[in-house]
Amino acid sequence: MNEISRHIQASNIGGTAEYYRYPEEVREEFIQTEGIEFRDGSRVTAAEVWDYLTNVGPVKFPNLYDNSNLYTGRLSRDVTLPFTLKHNYLLMTMHERMTKAKAQGHPIVFVQGGQSVDPYYAAGAIALRPASTGIWARRQREGLTRNQDELEGQREKQKAYNAISFEVCNSAGYEHIQEGNVPADMVAPYTALRCSDVSYGTEAHRHGPRREDVKLLLVDYPLDHQKDKDWAIRYFADNLRRLTRNIDSLTGRTTTEDDLAREIKLHNEGRRLSVEIADLWWSAANPPTNGKDRRDLFQLGGMEVHGDPVASLSILREAKAYIEKRVRQDHKTQGVQDNAARLFVCGSCVFPNDYRCEEAGGIIVGNDNHWSDITTIVDESGEPYYELAKAVLSYPYEQPLPERAKWTVEQIRKSRTDGVLFLYKWGCNTQSAIARLLVDEIKAQAGIPTIIIEDDMTRTQTEQLQNRVNAFIEMVF
Amino acid sequence: MTLKSVEAIQRRLAGRPAELAAARAAGAKVVGFQGYSLPEELIHALGLIPIRIGLGGSDRLVELGGRYISTKNCVYVRETVGLFADDTDPYITNSDVFAFDATCLQTFRTAEVVEYYFKKTVFIIGVPRNFYLDEANTYFAAELSNFVSRLEEFAGTKLTEANLAASIALYNQIRAEIVAIYDYQATQHPRISWEQVFDVIQAGYVLDRQEYLGLLQALHGELAAGQGEAVIGRTDDDEARIFISGSVIPPGDKKLISIISELGGRIVGDDLWSGLIPYVEVDIKEPTIEAIAWAYLHRTPHGALPYLDLATDGRIARLKSLIGTFKADGVIYHTLRYCDPYTFKAKETKDILEQIGIPLLELHTEYAGSDVEAIRTRVEAFIEMIKLKTETEIAA
Repeated sequence: MNEISRHIQASNIGGTAEYYRYPEEVREEFIQTEGIEFRDGSRVTAAEVWDYLTNVGPVKFPNLYDNSNLYTGRLSRDVTLPFTLKHNYLLMTMHERMTKAKAQGHPIVFVQGGQSVDPYYAAGAIALRPASTGIWARRQREGLTRNQDELEGQREKQKAYNAISFEVCNSAGYEHIQEGNVPADMVAPYTALRCSDVSYGTEAHRHGPRREDVKLLLVDYPLDHQKDKDWAIRYFADNLRRLTRNIDSLTGRTTTEDDLAREIKLHNEGRRLSVEIADLWWSAANPPTNGKDRRDLFQLGGMEVHGDPVASLSILREAKAYIEKRVRQDHKTQGVQDNAARLFVCGSCVFPNDYRCEEAGGIIVGNDNHWSDITTIVDESGEPYYELAKAVLSYPYEQPLPERAKWTVEQIRKSRTDGVLFLYKWGCNTQSAIARLLVDEIKAQAGIPTIIIEDDMTRTQTEQLQNRVNAFIEMVF
Repeated sequence: MTLKSVEAIQRRLAGRPAELAAARAAGAKVVGFQGYSLPEELIHALGLIPIRIGLGGSDRLVELGGRYISTKNCVYVRETVGLFADDTDPYITNSDVFAFDATCLQTFRTAEVVEYYFKKTVFIIGVPRNFYLDEANTYFAAELSNFVSRLEEFAGTKLTEANLAASIALYNQIRAEIVAIYDYQATQHPRISWEQVFDVIQAGYVLDRQEYLGLLQALHGELAAGQGEAVIGRTDDDEARIFISGSVIPPGDKKLISIISELGGRIVGDDLWSGLIPYVEVDIKEPTIEAIAWAYLHRTPHGALPYLDLATDGRIARLKSLIGTFKADGVIYHTLRYCDPYTFKAKETKDILEQIGIPLLELHTEYAGSDVEAIRTRVEAFIEMIKLKTETEIAA
């Protein structure tokens, strides 16, 4: 019996599905690891995390413990990496933690993915992107199987389709916010090109049932060589100031430049840690983690997924030491095949099932979405609004195509990628528009195979997506 | 009904490609452009020839464009790219450089694709989403100044206040004539239809602007001579006065317009950015780039520029006002597939108009002919419903 199968213990929670349980034999080692610090000064010990994951979680959220390899969000089996357990704990406790933070006076602000959240936290708010609002909404429903949970999710999404359009890909959290599942106080994303639907989706909130309760604001992201234009940087800095002023109107306090400078410093540490972890990960002869844990680790530098940057930073710091150790020891990760085909994912939002990619002989080693913002460090020496604006307008993902392609090729080379997947959601105008252009330029510069695949938010095409990804892996392998 | 001045415009339009080629051979430079927030005045004031590019209605060009840009982009964008791939459209082949603005983000992407695959020189103008803020005006003025600098370099000349003032005056006159002519199509006994006015407006995309003004003045004169002042009102058999709103209907896209006319609907107004709306209330207060920036940002907002307060949305206010002005009975809200700026507002617009008793039919379509009969059925039912409502109201 190998490590993976030993950890899979069938139980009868919620019906006939097979459910995962964290194995008791790793408990002792795990509870000796660091606890998690939170933004409000509270802490949770590793023992408490263990207790939650093994006693509370399986009862409240059996869907998360579903053991099917068809489940993209399946819990990672890499139980000797404390990060993965703590990350899952933070996601499972989203509802309790966010409700508590809101009660402590922190406004909830909806943002988009792939953007920095420094100014929101500087003003005392909690910035949540679509995935995080979705997690919060779903963690309010207990005792569901995976199918029940997915059906509920689809039912919620349908409300956004009805209120906006069936062509809406990103509904800007409409279904959760306007239905009152997530008590957001403000919708205030950056209007970056990453997702054009976010701007129109934000506008849609003006006719929703909670339109009187939810403040709307767009942090207007200028386009076209924006980082090279001082007037564009100043305009975006003004937008950032307007953002913090608007949050201040909710909290009753005044956000100072020092507040922002402190927050930038904290978030820079997260961004730097993720970049250092990526460099370590990519330098290893064998992938030191599976693809899912890699993605979670790299993305954590965005400091927004848990709704608590201090908690994210706390587990990132610990994770780096583990990755260093694994790279030193030439760790071989369970489930990842020898000489796996290394894939890089470009585009937006869509991701194939990491576990099934690994079964097929591949592994996803990097992605541009939710990464370009993390690789952009803010200069801490200058005027904080201006420097933050300058950095944000420098996101490689948002640059003119030749520049974006050049950066992407750099990531591909560093990660020793064998093939590139460009994935986008059905209805995604701005990423799909340059899919061919970007992959043509990558092929020209890096000389590796590429494929463009479209996926559907409703997950009705998941098998088609995976089938094509697996065929691509077979070709690259 | 045939108006001599409309025929004159059509003749001039037919001869324009050859004229443009001759002008270029004689040293003139042509700027092909696309975008709602791109002030033509700036191109014209530098002695360059502005040509608004883009067509609709061709499946072939849509398919061709879709090979470069995505099939998840609207057909107008795909056909624009298709025009570059095909490289036979005289306005594409006769343009020396191209300018796009970022009002619609898909237009911004079009510029990137055109630059990369077709090796064209492309100028892009950033457009603020928060267009109503003071700082947005500062940003947009800087973008326009940057655009002018690039045009000056291309033209080999500098923008002068006198030239800018002259161009602004010319365009103000063109806008005033279009607004005046537009009223005639909605009158009780019109000598010109909305369809003809729509074509006249779109002829102005490519004709020499000074000559175009003369043609408009002649048309205005002919209409005034034939029926005096334009008094908007319903004719006796005018049972379904239709207003068209929503996504762009560019030259060449006649599908929906033909269906409405064939089924007895009378189109009397629109707020399309390929129709009346760019010419309404453009208030350039002085011959400066800053004043042009302010005027363009304070026109009726394009649907691609989000506005977060429904109660003060200038686009909605303008829509309601025009529906009233042109005495429309119902709105056909035309949305192209993947045109998010207008598609996302369809239900909201329907709900708003319902409150003032105006029915709205959304038609979500592409250029393909496969949905013609489906559209025909829906338009027919909508027109019948309006007729019945009109008859009932008249009887009451």
